[in-house]
Amino acid sequence: MGGLRTALTIGVQALDVSEAALDTTSNNIANADTPGYTDETVDISANPTTLSGGDIVGGGATLDQVNSSRDELLNQQIQQQTSLEGSANTESAALQQVQTYFGNTGTDIASQLASLSSSLAALSASPSSESAQQSVLAAGQSLAQAFNTTAAGLTGAQSQADGQVTSSVSQINSLTQQIAQLNGELAQATASGQNGGVLEDQRDQVVQQLSSLVGVSVSQSSQGEVITTANGTPLVMGSQSFSLQSVTGSNGFQQVEDANGNNITGDLQGGQLGGAIQVRDQTIPGYLSQLNTLATQFAGSFNDAQALGTDSNGNAGQPFFSLPASGQDAAAGISVALTSPSQIAISSDGSAGSNGNVANLSAVLTSPLPSGQTPANAYAGLVFQVGNDASSAGTESTAIGQNLLQLTNQQGSVSAVNIDEETANLIRYQTAYEAGARIVSTIQQLSTDTLDMGSNQDY
Amino acid sequence: MRVNPNIVPDILADLQQSQVSLNTALQQVSTGKSVNQPSDNPAAAAAMVQNTIETGDVDQYTQNVSSALSTVQSASSALSSVVTELTQAVSVGTAGATGTNSSANLQSMVGQVQGILSSVVSQANTSVGGVYLFGGTGTSTPYTPDPSSPYGYTYNGNSDVNSVAVGDDISVQVNVPGSQIFSNSSNNVLGSLSNLIAALQSGDSSAISSATTAVDSAVNYVGQQQVLYSNAESQLNSQETNLQQDTVSLTSQANNLIGANLATAATNLSQAEVENSAAMAAAAKVLPNTLLDYLEPPS
Repeated sequence: MGGLRTALTIGVQALDVSEAALDTTSNNIANADTPGYTDETVDISANPTTLSGGDIVGGGATLDQVNSSRDELLNQQIQQQTSLEGSANTESAALQQVQTYFGNTGTDIASQLASLSSSLAALSASPSSESAQQSVLAAGQSLAQAFNTTAAGLTGAQSQADGQVTSSVSQINSLTQQIAQLNGELAQATASGQNGGVLEDQRDQVVQQLSSLVGVSVSQSSQGEVITTANGTPLVMGSQSFSLQSVTGSNGFQQVEDANGNNITGDLQGGQLGGAIQVRDQTIPGYLSQLNTLATQFAGSFNDAQALGTDSNGNAGQPFFSLPASGQDAAAGISVALTSPSQIAISSDGSAGSNGNVANLSAVLTSPLPSGQTPANAYAGLVFQVGNDASSAGTESTAIGQNLLQLTNQQGSVSAVNIDEETANLIRYQTAYEAGARIVSTIQQLSTDTLDMGSNQDY
Repeated sequence: MRVNPNIVPDILADLQQSQVSLNTALQQVSTGKSVNQPSDNPAAAAAMVQNTIETGDVDQYTQNVSSALSTVQSASSALSSVVTELTQAVSVGTAGATGTNSSANLQSMVGQVQGILSSVVSQANTSVGGVYLFGGTGTSTPYTPDPSSPYGYTYNGNSDVNSVAVGDDISVQVNVPGSQIFSNSSNNVLGSLSNLIAALQSGDSSAISSATTAVDSAVNYVGQQQVLYSNAESQLNSQETNLQQDTVSLTSQANNLIGANLATAATNLSQAEVENSAAMAAAAKVLPNTLLDYLEPPS
């Protein structure tokens, strides 16, 4: 009977193992579309058999463990690319918005420089025409407004990026808390010998979300997973998370502080947060400073030219444009100081019919400013820079997107649930289960036959 | 090798890609521009700044040329009339200097020359669009009667000139002040006519003769002044041609910089449409396929 009992045990084990495999397959199918879920496979091994007194002892199969098909290196690459994508997308979106102010729209600075220039040319032909004078004044006002609008567009994009800093920081804090919690649960599960695959999937998913917000570096330590920002500020150590804070800085913008109150704004890179900080603190201030220089120098030179002449009331030319007294934010604050067309210094000799000073006013548009460039060239340089930045940010964002798609495909080839594969497995394990059940019923039949041996007189 | 069973992201990326091409092609066809924002071609967008300014200027310079031309032509024709009238005065003076005229004749000659003087003065006071052609840069009537003046009129203008901008750093002088043409100290046109009137009134033949000679030299002098206007006119005409060429080259530059080649854009559009529908058709075919579709359901 020893042999039959062994066979029965083996049959029951076959049922157990097939059942576990069927469970795993079902679970895979159920989670086929769960984000971050990694395909699970069963590790089954054969038990050793020994020959004892002519009987086979042992044998059968055991379920060793359920494995998640995971490639940690790929995961890390995906995290890095996700960070880069986050910052590239943020920068690209901001620049797309900013560049609309520099397009050839008819209300941009280039168009207004053009109308000021042509209205001055018209004034040269008819210096005493009130409508020609009015056009010059109106063109000056439109130019000042174009500077104001462009500057407002830039600062608008800047404060939008500032808003992103605050919201990113609070999302980061919520995600790091989730990661710390998952780390704790995972440690417990592992300690009690359970399969932590699903927890790991969830954690990987959250870490990837975190990567899209800020560049992080992930490492393993004795306490569990350790996550820091690229510059080493700890965010998660095992089951403990460290919150970042955003506080209003002296420049009016949100500054990011670590858990100890150190300002780490300048060190943060990657992700939406890194991109927003880059746009807010580097890219847009660069454009604004060029725009302010242009506004200051143009207004200064135009006022100087205005001072060379006499207005229609016989007074020496007063400043045409006025700039903010602080000397700051010239583009945002530039306005026309003259209140009447008669104040334009058209005359060079004091008589009302002279157009002598118009040439001086016109010359401001075609002569180099103190920066060494004509107003048109200085502005064109800015247009090129904005356009080029927007174009390369867009290209970079697309390239990273492609790269990320490639990596996700690779990850999918390792970890994703393939329904065809699971269907085939389902059939396979079903057959195995049926065969296991047949072993049990066969042994039962044999046992009955064996027990009936004594009672049957015919034998 | 196991491949990624999840083809949805790939399909979405392809669809998005073909959608982007479709949008770009559509925008180019509908706007006729290949550069619709600076990032489409930063260098072209920057070059368009200069082009926009120059195009506006050239349009205005072209208008300036035509208004300057009309000013210069009016002035020139006024001077032609003055020359004709002065020539008449010379004939009158020559007839008066023969010494055979009765006092009544002389008196009628005085009347003729007085008429000529007032006509010349009215030419000198010509205005176009409210601007006096011969008043310098002043805005008051250039010549008004003044009994205290040796020639009976006072010049109220100034000796300044206006130049009209007709190009970047190109301007053309459009007026010669009356003080230079009509009441110059060395060649005083109005003075010579007044002197002739006085000589005719005196009846002194030699005085009439010398006064007539002075009017005759005034004819030459005004003729010389007229040349200044002719020069300005030819300068303006040649500048007009230059500006027309500038307009053409600026337009073609703008077209090269940001214009879309419509044939290419239309081809791109139809190609993008084909790609887009192909990508969608492929997606529709591939997405729902699994092994389950081919398995018999368990009985």
